[in-house]
Amino acid sequence: MKLALELNGRPTELECEPDEMLLEVLRREGLGSVRATCGIGVCGACTVLVDGEPLSGCLTLAPKVEGREVTTVEGLAGADPVQRAFIEAHGFQCGWCTPGFVLTAKALLAENPQPSEAEIAEAFGGNLCRCGSYVKIVDAVRRAAGEPAGAR
Amino acid sequence: MGGGTAVEWLAPSSLEEALALRAERGGDTTVVAGGSFLAILMNQGFVAPTSLLSLGKVQELRGIDVVDGELRLGAMVSHRAVERDPVIRRDWPVLSRAFGLVASPRVRNQATVGGVLADADYASDPPAVLCAVNARAVLRSPRGVRQVAIDELILGFYETCIAEDELLTEVRVPAALGPAVYRKFRSRSSEDRPCVAVAAARSAGRLRVVVGACAEVPQHYPDVCAEGADGPIDDAVAREIGAVYAKRMAPLSDSRGSAEYRRRVVAVEVRRAVEMVGADGAGNGAGREGAGGEE
Repeated sequence: MKLALELNGRPTELECEPDEMLLEVLRREGLGSVRATCGIGVCGACTVLVDGEPLSGCLTLAPKVEGREVTTVEGLAGADPVQRAFIEAHGFQCGWCTPGFVLTAKALLAENPQPSEAEIAEAFGGNLCRCGSYVKIVDAVRRAAGEPAGAR
Repeated sequence: MGGGTAVEWLAPSSLEEALALRAERGGDTTVVAGGSFLAILMNQGFVAPTSLLSLGKVQELRGIDVVDGELRLGAMVSHRAVERDPVIRRDWPVLSRAFGLVASPRVRNQATVGGVLADADYASDPPAVLCAVNARAVLRSPRGVRQVAIDELILGFYETCIAEDELLTEVRVPAALGPAVYRKFRSRSSEDRPCVAVAAARSAGRLRVVVGACAEVPQHYPDVCAEGADGPIDDAVAREIGAVYAKRMAPLSDSRGSAEYRRRVVAVEVRRAVEMVGADGAGNGAGREGAGGEE
């Protein structure tokens, strides 16, 4: 079936099966930042923003995003302040989980520009980093929020 | 997923159309609300629907309204919306709190009020709390409308009384007249489903204590709660209610805890929940959550 959506700012028409997950459809489009990992919505590596809210690509039936705005980190083009903050704070090691953290952080900061430590932890409840870079990731969010590095 | 015979995608844009499709296809189509649980089952290969009826475009199912003091939640209202809605936070804080404890914010963006009830997963948070506050599910079909209590709706593991031509369209919650708490005891990670969930509410001189995640369906014993009529409930009564719940229940064993472990946690968590709603009317949903450990 045809799937019309706004993908990374561009009106796009994709082909999908009605029982396909968004994750698979986006990867077929070459959007490799959306990563198949746990398949049960726990790890956050396939996070995408749908109308600005984080959703699990692995749990979202593709036809459900018909007519909606879908954003992956490819749509940020490396120019987003949150992406820069992750680079400056070195908020990653292997980088596998990073796109999911970046998008989750973007949604958090859009809603709450000055999140507390507890609010950051809550927002990242569904994003796992197996390298354990959480301290630097939280630093990156604080940096993106305009706070000095390491501030507590 | 994908490939093979084409799967049918039905996406009605009105409730009338959705009800007509549901009545026509019955059990041959799988209803999709938020779709998070369904997707997990599909990804794991447990189900492979040949027809999907998505309620995503039915605007009538997205309302959060208060009518004559009663909260009406459309079936497609997300957990995140229940968590954040200012009216629910003010007047039904125990619901905001319980829905806000489900999984992670990302899953709460997707999971819906109607979906979690229709799935009837024993380990979900909302059924116990909705049962404690006397919520009713509205079931519609071309034949008419009926309202069922949560313990009439959920019949067993993943089993409900929803007929093949019916849709769960709304959840109605009476005005909160007294304190209510939801305690979620987790034995693994903070984003996990509960090992033991206890919801307690006092309203109009009645105490309701419902234990979730420990059996096929939410467990509650009105005769045991009859103690908690009016006035403060003292510690001895709270302890007794906890002890009787633990004794009478036949908890299941799963990866979150053995039956024997759960029985001990039930005694403690029920006592704490009763203490929290028993002391006075001040603790409406604002109480601390279960922190793990036992006494």
